[in-house]
Amino acid sequence: MKGIKVNFFVKAMCLCLCWPLFGLAQSSTPATGDIKIQVWNELRGEKLEALQLKGDVTRGAEAFQPCQGCHRRGAVGSPSGLYPRLAGQHATVLVEQIADIRAGKRVNPTMAPFSDEHVLTTQEIADIAAYLQSLPARSLPEARGPGRALDRGGKLYGTDCVVCHGNRGEGDSRKFMPLIAGQHYQYLIREMVLIRDGKRGNANPDMVKAIGAYGSDDIEAVADYISRLMPH
Amino acid sequence: MVRNVGMPNVNALLLGILFYGGAMADEVPAVPAMVSQVCAACHGVDGNSTIPTIPKLAGSNPEYLLRELKDFSAGKRKSDIMGAIAPTIDSADMKAIAAYFGKQKSTSEPVQDAALAAVGKKIFLEGDEPRGLPACAGCHEEDGSGSKRFPHLAGQHRQYLMDQMQKFRNDVHTYPSAKFMREVAKRMSEEEIKAVAEFLAAQ
Repeated sequence: MKGIKVNFFVKAMCLCLCWPLFGLAQSSTPATGDIKIQVWNELRGEKLEALQLKGDVTRGAEAFQPCQGCHRRGAVGSPSGLYPRLAGQHATVLVEQIADIRAGKRVNPTMAPFSDEHVLTTQEIADIAAYLQSLPARSLPEARGPGRALDRGGKLYGTDCVVCHGNRGEGDSRKFMPLIAGQHYQYLIREMVLIRDGKRGNANPDMVKAIGAYGSDDIEAVADYISRLMPH
Repeated sequence: MVRNVGMPNVNALLLGILFYGGAMADEVPAVPAMVSQVCAACHGVDGNSTIPTIPKLAGSNPEYLLRELKDFSAGKRKSDIMGAIAPTIDSADMKAIAAYFGKQKSTSEPVQDAALAAVGKKIFLEGDEPRGLPACAGCHEEDGSGSKRFPHLAGQHRQYLMDQMQKFRNDVHTYPSAKFMREVAKRMSEEEIKAVAEFLAAQ
């Protein structure tokens, strides 16, 4: 049942979402970036294949073992923010990101060799995504921001982030918008800087535009705010 | 009359066999012939090799051992010695060998350098985040006991561990699943490899 739904959804996405985005993405290639974004999250190749496969939670738990060396047991990530929490993330987002890292679209030299086709099969990408989505997303208190500029952070969030990531930072599985509530503060900062500077590789062009003018203070404030949102 | 006398005897005999078999399985596991005739010479009859370059197999997950035997046999994992022996073992014997060694307890080696072992323990349990070095425990478990997919490392000979890490580091292990460890080994210094081996040998 889930497989059919995803299949239908993927086709619908291809038709409805990617088509208008094609023009949008072309006109918003990051000015300072090393990497040119052609089409954001184009649903083809292995990404499309993995989205159409039915993920199995039990198999996913086993296939996730090699990832635990960095993302830790229960996929809580590292409070230092060097590794994100993956627990509770939308399966669609996880497939998107793993496929992008594997295809070299998201620049991640730390993880790329460990997500190689010799380490994970396409089916295992779907399985891992299903497993991680099934885990509870918890916010680690020690990984939250300093709480200094929450008013400012909340304001920026309401203006620039809420439209895609939702009131509570819950994201949107169907639109490939990640759950960000309670994500580690330092990780949020690192990724926002990479996205702003056009160095993440697979950033959503709307987000590049939304935070294009952000200074470090803005990024820190909004990351602080997001790190304190409760995932559920 | 004959039947009535005969039946209890058969039952008693069956019970006796069951009891005997149960006792065998619980207390003194039978050593498969293949183990005593082939494996034991190098790996020890209980899977605790006493030769530093030959791995201990005791306590490894049977599924893991079976996979390795099959890979040696198919030439996927290269080894001059095992590459010659594995193809002579049939599938049923492979399963019996794997199940037998899986049931044995691994012995540990005495600590030689406690300070080095402490460094190794930290790397094994935590990795090194800024350098993207994963914690070994992620796959091999915190007690080094391994799993269906990954080898048991606790108590392994330090020399064997270091030899294997060099094979990963220098791309000698070319089988597909070695990709992960080839990357891990390249992110580790010689000293770190030595430290982790020192820690594991004593587990």
